[in-house]
Amino acid sequence: MTHANMSMTNHSNGSTVDREAVIVATDVEKWYDNGFNVLKGVSLNVYKGEVVVVMGPSGSGKSTFIRTFNALEPYQKGSIVIDDIEISYDLKNIEEIRREVGMVFQQFNLFPHLTVLQNVTLAPIWVRKQKKREAEATAMQLLERVGIAEQADKFPGQLSGGQQQRVAIARSLAMQPKIMLFDEPTSALDPEMVREVLDVMRGLADSGMTMVCVTHEVGFAREVADRVVLMDGGVLVEENTPDEFFNNPKEERSQKFLSQIL
Amino acid sequence: MTTTSPNSPLVTPEESRPPLDQPGPGTWLRKHLFNTWYNALLTIILVSIMLLAVWGIFNWIFRIAEWAVVPNNLALFMSGLYPSELYSRIWVMLGINVAMAGITWGLLVRNQGKLLGRNVLIGVAAICAGFIILPLTRPVALTLIGLVVLTLVCAWVGKTLGQRKLSLSQFLAAGWFLVYSISLLVLAGGDIRNSLIYLVAAVAISIWLTSTLLRLLANASVLDAISGNTAGIWVMRVLWFAGSLVLFLPVYGFLNIPLPLKIITLITYIAFVSLLVPILAERKTLTTFVVTASIFGLSCLALTAIPNAISGFFGLEPIGTNNWGGLTLTLFLAITGIALCFPIGVIMALGRRSKLPIIKGLSIAYIELIRGVPLISILFMGQVMIPLFLPEGVRPDNIVRAIVGLTLFSSAYLAENVRAGLQAIPRGQSEAAASLGLNNPLTLSLIVLPQALKIAIPAIVGQFISLFQDTTLLGIVGLVELLGISNSILANPKYLGDYAEVYLFIAVLYWFFCYAMSLGSRRIERALNTER
Repeated sequence: MTHANMSMTNHSNGSTVDREAVIVATDVEKWYDNGFNVLKGVSLNVYKGEVVVVMGPSGSGKSTFIRTFNALEPYQKGSIVIDDIEISYDLKNIEEIRREVGMVFQQFNLFPHLTVLQNVTLAPIWVRKQKKREAEATAMQLLERVGIAEQADKFPGQLSGGQQQRVAIARSLAMQPKIMLFDEPTSALDPEMVREVLDVMRGLADSGMTMVCVTHEVGFAREVADRVVLMDGGVLVEENTPDEFFNNPKEERSQKFLSQIL
Repeated sequence: MTTTSPNSPLVTPEESRPPLDQPGPGTWLRKHLFNTWYNALLTIILVSIMLLAVWGIFNWIFRIAEWAVVPNNLALFMSGLYPSELYSRIWVMLGINVAMAGITWGLLVRNQGKLLGRNVLIGVAAICAGFIILPLTRPVALTLIGLVVLTLVCAWVGKTLGQRKLSLSQFLAAGWFLVYSISLLVLAGGDIRNSLIYLVAAVAISIWLTSTLLRLLANASVLDAISGNTAGIWVMRVLWFAGSLVLFLPVYGFLNIPLPLKIITLITYIAFVSLLVPILAERKTLTTFVVTASIFGLSCLALTAIPNAISGFFGLEPIGTNNWGGLTLTLFLAITGIALCFPIGVIMALGRRSKLPIIKGLSIAYIELIRGVPLISILFMGQVMIPLFLPEGVRPDNIVRAIVGLTLFSSAYLAENVRAGLQAIPRGQSEAAASLGLNNPLTLSLIVLPQALKIAIPAIVGQFISLFQDTTLLGIVGLVELLGISNSILANPKYLGDYAEVYLFIAVLYWFFCYAMSLGSRRIERALNTER
């Protein structure tokens, strides 16, 4: 975007014209192989440094939608532009996109045959071609940041769920992405471990990372999000500030959804 | 407490231990064997049957059996019709392999305490005592004990070197390949230019020289720049190919194989090298590769030069494969078959899961075709039909045809075992790898295959064991491997009727190697377990 950095606008005042959009999704449509239309023309802009929380009932297409942002899910119509690069599914392009976008999964998906340190250094060494020693130094800093440096030589199977998810966050950060996607990062955790993961995410948001999170954590959304988006049945129902969304939702569908989760 | 192990480092407080349930032998017997009158009756009957059987077995082993057939024909069992004046070559081969085994052992346990633990010492003592007690001739027994000592010395060397130089264990596979090639050379003798190691040396040296030249010509930043785009990669491909061809041809020209085979290997080489170039062009990979290839190439060069120079002194007389036999041949067939069928099996398993319809179809066709045919018919086909497909004058050796048959057969089964392992890896693993920017080949080789193969270890080793036992079928197509030579010995009127003794002896031999394999697989599994 050429008009980037023209003015420093406050996140919460809603003026979006002169801020730099790092994700521009326009009318994204997707069908599964069995013909099910999971995304029915979804548009969303995410601006630099912004935290967007995507909510919605299960099956609403919210996970599928954010997975299109790093080309894990192909889509059939519309366009997605990540930091001025349009997703086009040739190999070179996918590589570029995935350099920009990190992702954290619901099931952690750590590599069980590698130690925590190896999990974090694998991609920097093999994809970014860093020297092993440099990669390990960066990895230890990141593990320090998520608070589990002392577990670096353990295997993922020996850690608790919350610790595993924090390793997964460190692993994504090691590739120095500009955008982080979180696909229900706390849904597979025991209740007492949710907090430690949300704390790490809060710290990340405070450091200015652009984040898109699919989550059901209302507290996190209220406190950290710049915008809340509700999806249902493959369409984007409402896009609002967290205050407005939780206290005074515009749409009837949003009211119904909130009445069920609050 | 006397019941817990005195070595246990964890001394738990009294109250947190599990309740003790270790009554004396009397209570145990009463509780488990004599708790009701019919159980007591059953116990008495079964114990007497067992005692009778044990007594019968001992009586046969020590009083009835005529064991003379085994020591009298020991050389035949071990090496078949190999000329007896050249037995020293078999000993040399055994020595090289045992030394490498020792080094491997030392390298693998380099991070664990003492090399000679209590169990190892007991094992070594038992083996040495066995060599002395068994009716072996004095020189043979002494040589065998010498080999045990050699193993221990090499283990110590391997451990010491391994602790100093951590990267040494990466070269184990190359080391074993070298040992295998030298063993083959020692066993077969003859012209060095016939040997596998000569071909490998030629390839390795030419790749090494080309990559070094390429690196000298282009500095790192240039390499980075041209490997970044398609045209650059093609320029490198052409450069690399032309260079290695020029360097390869003179060495290759000396190779003593028929022309059609030369052309086939050359085409394979072209394809291989051109595919490899983009990977090799990356600086990191290139450095690793150049180091490995140069060490390997130089050692191959030395090894090709040395036997050539000394063959005038020792006269490594060629021994045709029709003189190979016994346990030596069995092991040769099994090891070669295992080494060849593993990569083919992995490739077929990956092919079967490929999204490309032709590759997938061909893999399925191969696997299902081979699995639908009994091994014996594949072996007969190898003997009768392979010569029909090949040009006049090219008639692969009997043993080569047997190995091809065994390999084709086992690789189809192995492919299914590996596929089961691949299927067990959750999709999230490759998604996570993809989201980190790893491309498909990297995801496969760093994430999916290591986990899949680990899961498939028991099944894979099972397949190796059955391949080892399937070598017995080769007796039918005219090879005198361990079972074949046993049948020839039994045909000797002097040993008429000694079936039980001979078959029991070779059964023990087969059991020993199969059990060693399954023991090895269990140790590997334990070493790779990351859920402790």
